Amino acid sequence: MSRGLAQRMLRRHWRGGELRLLAAALLLAITTVTGISLFVDRLERALVLEASAFLAADRRIEGREAPPEAWEAEAQALGLATARTVGFTSMAFSDLDALLVSVQAVSPNYPLRGALKTAGDPLAAGAVTRDTPAPGTLWAAPRVLLSLGLEVGATLDLGAVSLRIDRVLTDTPDQGGNFLLAPRVLMALSDVAKTQVLRPGARVEHALLLAGPESALGAFEAQLPEGFDARFDLEDVRTGNRSLGRALDRAERFLRLGGLMAVLLASLAVALAAARYAAQQADAVAVMKTLGATSGTIRRLYLGQLFQLGALVTVLALGLAYGVQAALFKLLAAYVPVALPAPGWVPWVLGTLTGWLCLLAFALPPLLELETVTPVRVLRRDLAQASRKGPLYRGLGLLALLGLLFAYAGSFELAGWVLLGLGGTSAFFAALAFVLLRSGRVLGMQAGRAWRLGLAALSRRQGASIVQMLVFGTALMLLLTLTVLRSSLLDSWRAQLPEGAPNHFVLNLDSEERPAFQQALEAQGVVPQPAFPMTRGRITAVNGAVLDPKASRAAARLTEERNLSWSGPLPEGNEVVAGQWWDELAPVPGLSLEADFAAGVGLTLGDRVTLEVGDQRFDLPLVALRRVAWDSLRPNFFLLLSPGLLEDRDATYLTSFFLSPERQSTLPTLLRTFPSVSIIAVDGLIAQLQQIVARVSIAVEVVLFLVLGAGALVLLASIQSTMDERLREYGLLRALGGSRQRLQGALVVEFATLGVFSGMLAALGAELMIWAMETQLFGLPAQSHGILWFLGPVLGVSLVLTLGLLATRKVVSVPPLTVLREHGA
Amino acid sequence: MELDRPVILSAQRLGKRLALGDEQLSILTGIDLEIKAGDSVALVGASGSGKTTLLGLLAGLDTPTEGTVYFAGQPFSSESEDRRAALRAEGIAFVFQNFQLLGALTALENVMIPLELAGRETPEALARSYLERVGLGDRARHTPRQLSGGEQQRVALARAFAAQPKLLFADEPTGNLDQATGQRIADLLFELNAEAETTLVLVTHDPALAARCDRALRVEAGQLHPEQDSTS
Ligand SMILES: Nc1ncnc2c1ncn2[C@@H]1O[C@H](COP(=O)(O)OP(=O)(O)O)[C@@H](O)[C@H]1O
Ligand SMILES: [Mg+2]
Repeated sequence: MSRGLAQRMLRRHWRGGELRLLAAALLLAITTVTGISLFVDRLERALVLEASAFLAADRRIEGREAPPEAWEAEAQALGLATARTVGFTSMAFSDLDALLVSVQAVSPNYPLRGALKTAGDPLAAGAVTRDTPAPGTLWAAPRVLLSLGLEVGATLDLGAVSLRIDRVLTDTPDQGGNFLLAPRVLMALSDVAKTQVLRPGARVEHALLLAGPESALGAFEAQLPEGFDARFDLEDVRTGNRSLGRALDRAERFLRLGGLMAVLLASLAVALAAARYAAQQADAVAVMKTLGATSGTIRRLYLGQLFQLGALVTVLALGLAYGVQAALFKLLAAYVPVALPAPGWVPWVLGTLTGWLCLLAFALPPLLELETVTPVRVLRRDLAQASRKGPLYRGLGLLALLGLLFAYAGSFELAGWVLLGLGGTSAFFAALAFVLLRSGRVLGMQAGRAWRLGLAALSRRQGASIVQMLVFGTALMLLLTLTVLRSSLLDSWRAQLPEGAPNHFVLNLDSEERPAFQQALEAQGVVPQPAFPMTRGRITAVNGAVLDPKASRAAARLTEERNLSWSGPLPEGNEVVAGQWWDELAPVPGLSLEADFAAGVGLTLGDRVTLEVGDQRFDLPLVALRRVAWDSLRPNFFLLLSPGLLEDRDATYLTSFFLSPERQSTLPTLLRTFPSVSIIAVDGLIAQLQQIVARVSIAVEVVLFLVLGAGALVLLASIQSTMDERLREYGLLRALGGSRQRLQGALVVEFATLGVFSGMLAALGAELMIWAMETQLFGLPAQSHGILWFLGPVLGVSLVLTLGLLATRKVVSVPPLTVLREHGA
Repeated sequence: MELDRPVILSAQRLGKRLALGDEQLSILTGIDLEIKAGDSVALVGASGSGKTTLLGLLAGLDTPTEGTVYFAGQPFSSESEDRRAALRAEGIAFVFQNFQLLGALTALENVMIPLELAGRETPEALARSYLERVGLGDRARHTPRQLSGGEQQRVALARAFAAQPKLLFADEPTGNLDQATGQRIADLLFELNAEAETTLVLVTHDPALAARCDRALRVEAGQLHPEQDSTS
């Protein structure tokens, strides 16, 4: 029987509006989770695909020896595309001259991601090509031809082999943000052996490139032998490109956080709506029990309703989520050049699971308690039923909530902070709300009539009012937190890529050329940025012990020849995290390393480091460890020396400038005037980063919007939950002669007070939460957000007042008799 | 022939006490009662005398603190709540002062509830015929909100008799209605009761209504006395 009755009751209750809030909350929970997951999933697939161009692959295994053939075979067996590269620097000789070049020997299917661009002339713009240099030929960067005074078709000797310059190489995907001293030359991998430059001990970088579905990549990584990382580095988009990696990481964290908060809020709304529905159903249950329904029948009846509602809402929500996500992508179509990969199945499952978990954990318990309603209630309505299972159900609900939190956050850290923020602030809130209510009552004593009525209503329902303040406060807190985090995040991205940030880097400028070069720039109306002296050096020993590069990967990394610079003041974008920066005016000889690098190679403050630069040798103490803002596109150095050790004339200079797109035509002239100077354009990279940030920002806004919706639902559910009592109370007051205006006034006072108090609680909670998130999760500098203390109460009052008055329209407009008849006195 | 009819409902030494804080409040004490199948019995008494409480105990909605209620010879009040509900589904119906219709359901659906709970075949047809019997055939799709008090009580009567109960409890069925409407509802109640030969336990403080029953019992200070001037 109960299926038919359940269906009928579901339909009737839906029409009567009793179930709408529950359904809306559930719909929002599933739609939000599925929508966000779908969106993030597809966006991430698209972004990773696009960002993979920076690596020329999805994964890159790199080492000083060639990654084993067996690995490549394994990868291919898993359905992955593979390519190989060998990179080294070498002198390239023309008939008359020589130049240090950075050679990249590549297999024919290179690159796996991104594209090469070539031209027939060093000053022409490049066009995308799918070819790679044929054996016996090479492609050279414009500067090679300009410096050596060669044309396409000339030959160049690399070690023991002569190769014909076939094309001019204008763009390679994987030059990334690395600043190459030497201009690049691309050749066929099959010619490498003939060059005979790969003598033992030569600095060579072998790489195996992989591309394909993430599952296959994961399977491949799982098969790599234990300890492979002693000899090889495994890079993906994030490790391969720090600025992009950071941006993606933060965006993902934010979206996850947003999803998490939306789920929390929606759960809260579901719980409130279900509790209200259950309270409304108590009378009906008593009647049905009187008419012969057993507890089993009641249980089946309400479970049946819940499951039918859940199934309907799930279907609707999944469809809606797909629509939302598709609409979002349509909106983004102009920005998304890559073909969009279809979304995976995970978001659908995740969304459905969330919805049902929400339903079972938050909606089921109050409905299950209905079976304990006693039939005597039909005779004496005030009989409260003792609930046996209440605490158990609530405990289960809480456990489920924790599970949800961790599942969503995908990280214990994130979930932990949210939990800590919520738990800590709610306990504090409850105490504070109690005090605030007390003071509200004291205030009310001296206030006018509407005031007294409103405040009296608040303190009469003290328990309910505290709960409501907690709910409002929590919802507002989450909203404020997300709003502020969103703008901090967008600001930090914008700061990272400001308008007019240098988009061209100049390398190899020698000290004599420097003034002339600067003049040439200034003549074009271009402002040159500060220049850094730069040379190359090698660490050979630590604390007197000579390092053997073959001994370990750390030793190999440590002894690699690398760029270094020196500076009196601490360069912009650097922060000393340990030790002390040398005195700018009276520097003591010393060395500073980037903190992560130092940790990676096992150096600590106070170590004595032996450094070879050309034929000079220095024995220097490690005096400072720096954190470097990698996500800024500034020249950054792992190694910095105190000034005075090296002469400026030993170095070439590294500088940068901003050139607007219209001015690009001045570049060839510059290149011709200063043939030995190398100019690297990173405007493409910057544009790409900006585009990615723009896209991610839209995603962030959408998430915020969804969370706002969830928050509004919670507010509504919470107001509705005390509606019946309000209707009864105010109905009685009106019957006793309270004027409409006075009651309206009392309601305004009641909601405004609730709003202000919850707003203040929310501001406090948000301040703490934001501090934790910014410093612990997003790696942003801590700052106080005074605006919260304005935004919280203002938002609180306007939201609570609007929603409250809308929801309680009935209280003052329905004739008192109707109210009393329907809701009992 | 009266003697042949079986006793359908009886109570022995029935008492109800409530713990109110430290104090014990005795609402009913030493109630003995015997009602034969087909009887109609009025429970009368002043407001607050304990009539509703007694009805609740007799109908198994509440449990006594002393004594036992027997329904069709079986101890009823000592059964579990679910068992009592199942027994009610089979043979006990109610009419209340405040109607107790489910607000979300239509008149027809309200009448169908006990039929569905008892697992009757074709509950809808049966419910519809009873709605017609109480003169509300054309209001089947209306919800209680759309019906007047009298109409709501008619629906409640249809719901009670459609279940074809052995025993009907009515707690002040006319208490919330004006005189004329109350009169019509009372007429309908006795008419249907006579047709179905249902045993009726009617709580009222209206002497005229009590007079229409076979006998009347007075509840006074928690105890039961036979009513002196009951019309024969
Ligand atoms: N659960 C209860 N809690 C407190 N008092 C009760 C309860 N049930 C009944 N009473 C009291 O017992 C007395 C009898 O109530 P009731 O049976 O409703 O009387 P009647 O129906 O005759 O008007 C009243 O004084 C009532 O207040
Ligand atoms: Mg009564």
